Amino acid sequence: MTDTTTTPRATPSIGLTLRSLLAADTQVILRSRQTLLLNLLMPIVILVLTDRAGRGSGAAAGTQFGDAGFLIAMALTYGLLSSSLMGYSITIARDREAGVFQRLRVAPAPTWAIMSSRLIVQFAAAIATSIIVIVVGSILHGVSYGAGSYVLIFLVAVLGAAMFLGIGQALVGLVRSTTVVNAVGRVLYIVLILLGLLGASGLLGDTIKSIADWSPVGALITLFVAVTQLAAWTWSDTGALLACVGYLVVFAGIGIRWFKWDPR
Amino acid sequence: MDRTAVDGVGFAIGRGEIVGLLGPNGAGKTSTLSVIEGLWKPAAGSVTIDGIDALAHPLEVKSRLGVQLQSSGFQPELNLAQILRLYAGVYGVRMTQADTLDALDGIGLEQEARKRFKDISGGQQQRFSLLIASVHNPLLLLLDEPTSGLDPQSRRSLWTRIEASRRAGGSVLLTTHSMEEAQAVCDRIVIIDHGKLITTGSPTELIAKHRDDPRVLELAHGEPTLEDVFIALTGSDFRD
Repeated sequence: MTDTTTTPRATPSIGLTLRSLLAADTQVILRSRQTLLLNLLMPIVILVLTDRAGRGSGAAAGTQFGDAGFLIAMALTYGLLSSSLMGYSITIARDREAGVFQRLRVAPAPTWAIMSSRLIVQFAAAIATSIIVIVVGSILHGVSYGAGSYVLIFLVAVLGAAMFLGIGQALVGLVRSTTVVNAVGRVLYIVLILLGLLGASGLLGDTIKSIADWSPVGALITLFVAVTQLAAWTWSDTGALLACVGYLVVFAGIGIRWFKWDPR
Repeated sequence: MDRTAVDGVGFAIGRGEIVGLLGPNGAGKTSTLSVIEGLWKPAAGSVTIDGIDALAHPLEVKSRLGVQLQSSGFQPELNLAQILRLYAGVYGVRMTQADTLDALDGIGLEQEARKRFKDISGGQQQRFSLLIASVHNPLLLLLDEPTSGLDPQSRRSLWTRIEASRRAGGSVLLTTHSMEEAQAVCDRIVIIDHGKLITTGSPTELIAKHRDDPRVLELAHGEPTLEDVFIALTGSDFRD
């Protein structure tokens, strides 16, 4: 028999509502194993291709790409970019179009609880991705950080996940169509990756390098590297921190302000 | 451009009453339901459920409503048991695994508990959607074309369940395009068109009231039916 100790006439407790939403959203993300693996693929590929054997030789030597800290920071950033921006925005757009949000909104679930549950689960997935990347990166590149650095890397990963989730939220806030969100998200993903890879290399000139350094990807890579070398913290690192916070505030603000629950 | 979808539609539903909201395509049925469900905020007017202002206290009202939408809107990755536990929790009903299987057994879907919604038949989907809508024993069930696309067996089964909900003290507001069905099961009919209320009354009252209308006489083959009255009042032009 169903236990109806919570009277059906009373407004359901927010605790039970949030637990139920979190359980469902976790089940959804765990069922999307292919997506989770693909989110890990890019950073792991970077770490494997640039491991100790290849890092110190050839064209990489003497550049940022010869620095293990930079490579791990780049892998962490790409992992967060994949899971937070792509995974989040496409799932939200798809569920909006399929009427998943409409169905939840006719139930007594506050909209903030519906969205918070999604964000918490995406955060958890992004952080799990970051932990795997840092462990693999440390092993492959023979790098070891102090406990304090790991805590700071974790905090930067939280900020990075929030920033990319904010960009994803802005995308689904400004674009209603799932197809367009998918297309724009992929283009954005590629542009941000190329900015990180080519821009940081300096191959495309100083202007592009400056843009790349201050892009969401560039700023986050700078921040990841900075927290592992606190003694060498510079104003540029402070700028990267402020840039990440700025991107988060601006894009999340746009995404929240213009987000529509209804696909039409 | 803003368009007025519904204007001046007012009606009350008594406890244990089954009310049919009828109208041609685009008449404003789904818009009316959307306002009651809290999906749309009306520019003017009010919705009161169980004495509570739905616009001022949407969550309190939603906890008293059970809603079956035209499209399912369930997460495609979840199986039936997981969807049921999600919505039970959202409606404040604690369910163990055994409770979940019991509830699914009650609608003949225990064996399908691990299947996804899209992998069950249309009749099973409707039974499951109704279970979700009534998992918290709501005061008012809102059903948007609940029998659309169902075979006679599934339709009959659905009506049995809706009737059971009524016997338990619940009221029902439904939309349907089946006039026969509305005439057979609804205590009262509300006909709207172009977003406005045309008439309301029991099926018998509506037929009696309009039986001498020349438009009804022209349409009727023998004894006038609710469908004759409906077409006479809303016109026979195609609606998209």
